[in-house]
Amino acid sequence: MTNAGTATATAPEVPVKSGTALRFLLLEDSLADSELILHELKVGGFQFTSETVQSPEQFRQSVRAVRPDIILADYNLGDWRGLDALAILREEGLEIPLILVTGALGEMTAVDCIKQGAADYVLKGSLARLPLAIRRTLQEEGLRELREQAEKDLARKVEELARSNRDLEQFAYVASHDLQEPLRMVAAYTQLLAERYRGKLDADADKYIGYAVEGALRMQTMIRDMLAFSRVGRNGVGCEPSDCNQIVKEALLNLKASIAESGAVVTYDGLPTLPAEQTQVLQLFQNLIGNAIKFRGKETPVIRISVEPQDRYWRFAVVDNGIGIAPEYRDIIFAIFQRLHAREEYSGNGVGLAICKKVVEHYGGKIWVESEPGRGSSFYFTLPAVSVDGVDSHVPYQT
Amino acid sequence: MSPTKPDILLVDDSPSDLDLMREALGASPYQSRINTALDGEEAIAWLHRGGAHSGAARPALVILDLNLPRKNGRVVLADFKTDPGLRSIPIVIFTTSQSRKDILDCYALGANCYVSKPGSLDDFRKTVQSIEHFWLQIACLPS
Repeated sequence: MTNAGTATATAPEVPVKSGTALRFLLLEDSLADSELILHELKVGGFQFTSETVQSPEQFRQSVRAVRPDIILADYNLGDWRGLDALAILREEGLEIPLILVTGALGEMTAVDCIKQGAADYVLKGSLARLPLAIRRTLQEEGLRELREQAEKDLARKVEELARSNRDLEQFAYVASHDLQEPLRMVAAYTQLLAERYRGKLDADADKYIGYAVEGALRMQTMIRDMLAFSRVGRNGVGCEPSDCNQIVKEALLNLKASIAESGAVVTYDGLPTLPAEQTQVLQLFQNLIGNAIKFRGKETPVIRISVEPQDRYWRFAVVDNGIGIAPEYRDIIFAIFQRLHAREEYSGNGVGLAICKKVVEHYGGKIWVESEPGRGSSFYFTLPAVSVDGVDSHVPYQT
Repeated sequence: MSPTKPDILLVDDSPSDLDLMREALGASPYQSRINTALDGEEAIAWLHRGGAHSGAARPALVILDLNLPRKNGRVVLADFKTDPGLRSIPIVIFTTSQSRKDILDCYALGANCYVSKPGSLDDFRKTVQSIEHFWLQIACLPS
């Protein structure tokens, strides 16, 4: 840009709109200068059509009508300047590259011109540089268009994906919601059948009715769980900070019965306050602690919850001494309705960890497990320490 | 308890749920007179004692489902709670829906309470009987 040598020979060989003639618009008040410029374009090997205008009105009219590929503007045009043309282009919503072709221009003004949006500038004393400047400008323009197109495509795909996700969530929600009513009817009336006719039909009939009741009741809990799963992230607009110490305390209160029954010992200490919705963080901790108690081994369950800072995240660990998980199941346990045990062994629908995963991923974190059968499980998850408005929860913790 | 048998209006489009409610109320000590309406229009007619229901008694309690044909439960609720002569009759919303929006909307329209229909037969009966017991025995009503 600052070198005004004989650069035509090294002009980059990028085909710029090959085959069609380029449309040049010259903004020039000197007939002699515009002839010189046109001559240089011919020498530079361009196939082109051109138009020369002088006044702002002509300029505006011409960019509207011709839509030139590139504008070559003199800096000084009597009562207005080539740079004012940039303002007109902005007003018209047009992104057409403009090269200043001008007599004397101090270095400061040149920088100003580029800052204000000119693509390049060429001194009239070094017009031989013009073809190179044009080629480079058109090449950059082509790249810019490509990039803009790629950005538009990406934005459209992101929007499509978000819409399809929303549809799916809505579907799960409505389906599980609307399924409840007919199912309740089946459940209630099979139970009524069982109540009124037990022992009055035959043994097979009693058994069949029993299966029907059991199936209907199980499906009710599955639908309730599916609803809970589809609700994760639906209501979390406001971001009240969550004090994890309070939340774990509440989770333990909710799990009071199974803690008392199993004699489980749960320890935690100095947990942070997070920029995340309380009900969701509660579900996360409660499901993990609940699992650690449910899948206990022969020993009394001992569960340790700890945390350490990791970049812009907190990495939590919920470590137990339970039955553990075989390596091949470490990923699938986070899928919805995925169970590893018969219902007679361990109750549940296989939704707890799926909800944990959904909560963690809703906040951009990760969840995983490290475990060996018979040697306990360590569930890890990360949650952001920094809220969207930039408040870093690491700070009070580290002091 | 008042010496005369109280009237209860059940508004529900599901014959199976109406049967369950009748059964539950029939087993209770209050021996309420059960009246039913199968859609919103019939419920509104009943409450305004119009049409076929010109001899209808003023109910002590209304148990109202939300998803009804023609005029849904919200419309019935709104109609009822904006009528100065009727707004003091307690309306219990009794529906499958547990949606937060439904709950908020109903209370905003003046529902006296919102109960979601339990899934198991036993809970369903107990819930219906508790509603009746609370509104006919425990609560003090204007009259």
